[in-house]
Amino acid sequence: MRKVWIIARQEYLFNVRRAGFIITTLLFPALGLLGLAIAALFGSQATDFLGAQFVPQMEGIGIVDHYGAFTPIPEEYAYTYTAYEDDTAGRAAIERGEIGTLLTFGADYLQTGNVTITSKERDFAVSLIEESDTLREYITTSLLRDQVSDEVQRRIVDPVVPSIVRLEGAGQEPSGTQGDSAISMIVNTMVPYFVGILLVITIFSSSGYLLQSVSGEKTSRVIEIVLSSVTAWELLAGKIIGLGALGLTQIAFWLISASLLSGGAFGLFGIAIALFAKPSLFILSIVYYILGFLIFAVLMGAGGAMGTTQQESQQIAGLFSFMAALPMMIMGFIFANPNAGIARVLSWIPFTAPTMMMLRISLGDVQIVDIIGSIAVCVVTVPALILAGAKVFRASLLMYGSRPKLREIWQIVREA
Amino acid sequence: MSDPLLSVQGLRKRFNGFLAVDGVSFEVSHGEIFGLLGPNGAGKTTTIRSVMDIIKAEEGQVTILGNSPADARSRVGYLPEERGLYRDMRVHEVLVYLAQLKGVDRSTAQKNAETWLERVDLADRHGSRVKELSRGMQQKLQFIASLIHGPDLLILDEPFQGLDPVNVELLKALIRELQANGTTIVLSAHEMNLVEALCDRILLINRGKSVLYGELAAIKQQYAPSTVRLRVQGELPDLTGVMRVEQQDQQYILTLASGAHPQAVLADLVSADIEVQSYEVGSAPLEEIFISVVKEETHA
Repeated sequence: MRKVWIIARQEYLFNVRRAGFIITTLLFPALGLLGLAIAALFGSQATDFLGAQFVPQMEGIGIVDHYGAFTPIPEEYAYTYTAYEDDTAGRAAIERGEIGTLLTFGADYLQTGNVTITSKERDFAVSLIEESDTLREYITTSLLRDQVSDEVQRRIVDPVVPSIVRLEGAGQEPSGTQGDSAISMIVNTMVPYFVGILLVITIFSSSGYLLQSVSGEKTSRVIEIVLSSVTAWELLAGKIIGLGALGLTQIAFWLISASLLSGGAFGLFGIAIALFAKPSLFILSIVYYILGFLIFAVLMGAGGAMGTTQQESQQIAGLFSFMAALPMMIMGFIFANPNAGIARVLSWIPFTAPTMMMLRISLGDVQIVDIIGSIAVCVVTVPALILAGAKVFRASLLMYGSRPKLREIWQIVREA
Repeated sequence: MSDPLLSVQGLRKRFNGFLAVDGVSFEVSHGEIFGLLGPNGAGKTTTIRSVMDIIKAEEGQVTILGNSPADARSRVGYLPEERGLYRDMRVHEVLVYLAQLKGVDRSTAQKNAETWLERVDLADRHGSRVKELSRGMQQKLQFIASLIHGPDLLILDEPFQGLDPVNVELLKALIRELQANGTTIVLSAHEMNLVEALCDRILLINRGKSVLYGELAAIKQQYAPSTVRLRVQGELPDLTGVMRVEQQDQQYILTLASGAHPQAVLADLVSADIEVQSYEVGSAPLEEIFISVVKEETHA
């Protein structure tokens, strides 16, 4: 075991000083710093610029009211809306740049709902105006004016102010959130979700370093000297531990830098609160991280040993990376529905289960059967994979001239 | 041989149906330099890797100091034929790391590294990265990396390959010094003159089989052509058991008949009152023995 630690220490200390690792690790906070610098230097200009990319111009909307309920414009909406006599006057205002969009309410608005939208904006921006809450509120308020009480009017405009009660289990008092629940929901979901993504990225980067390390030792021919001192198993185990620690260092650095950029200790506290708010989520993330890293580290180790050059090793590893990345590729879909059929299927396949489950559990409640099943599948797979992977690793390491053929790999695995 | 340091018995290893080593057996005594010879692809490296427990033999038994190869790892040093080093690491870091893998503690490893770097004139490069060293320097570094932990058995596979004559002499001297200090050495090399100069006993492998094994001097004697070179005062008389006489300047070369003994020829000369100025029984260079045995085996 002492040799395993020596190898782990060596791998960690050597790789932590590599330019590639330092650049990758610093890239994330550097991008954050860049964002802060842009915000500091350009202030509201930058905000306006970014806002203009996504949000259509809402400040200047003209109203031509043939129906008669939307003018005069109430004082609280005067900042956004301006009334015009007819379309000609409204279009002239658009040409002069006073407004961006003109809404014309027809005389039959109540029967048909037709509103003519005149704008120089593109279709997407116009559709955003159509769907905007501000416009909906303005129309609703105008239609209900003097028809219902102010209270009823407020409830029609803002019908639900949520107060969420989460049942923690039998015999336990329910915990409730009120008022700031929307923000807390976002924090409680997004922080674990992004930590999940960071863990997945770390699995990629750490197992990638393992691939480089193994193929580097093989192609530089130092491997035979090392194997005269340690077994292939000790070598693989040392690399897995050392480079796993390297991955954790990277993620720790990212989390600390993210918290510093988002308000120092307060930010760190916020991330910690979100992570520890659900201890089961935190523990499960660590379990899936360890299982995922073990699976891909062994695959990458064997892949690195099989190639005769670094490029060839990377080609072999590409297949494994694809499997791990599959859940990331359908991430948008999973975000909308963490319990979709495809997500559940991929949760039961050992090569996709760790990354898929890390994303799913951060997004919401996952069936317990999926959690138990995915962990069980991985727990069974890991020792079998280590046994077979270590054999392939050992057998392939000294094959300098040629890559082992599929038949040979199968034979090695069968003998394992 | 009593209580050999290394014993290999009936070693057999096959790769994809090809029998790379076929029942090779040999023993190496404490403190000797043992030559492991053979043409390319004969099975030397497979034999060595089996001894080092880097690959598992299908059959046969290997013991080092009475232990299995796995248990004796820390007492064996190995310089493989296919060798390299961590190119981005610094010289002393590589040595300390490899020594630690052999079970040496860090401070002793550092001390040993400094001592050996000095011995091979690399002390001033101890902080350099390996990739900044010349090829010859890297080879010397690889050599000391194999012995930095003070092994009882040192296995050197083609240690002289690519070295200039100055460094060949340096390595030869170090090998002799190691032997004098009690290290047992197995040397695999293609430079037959160096094997002749260094080895006490040899094993010649061809096509995975042992074809020649024993004391180097005895093997050379066994394969010596039946010739005698001599200088005498005056004319050479007719001698019993001599088939042919050639004269080159002042020297005679006698080819002996089958069964004739050089000692008997010398006795005849003395009894004939011939003044013998020099008398040398012919012996074949190892290279000739190697070529003739390999050719004979290949055509058999």
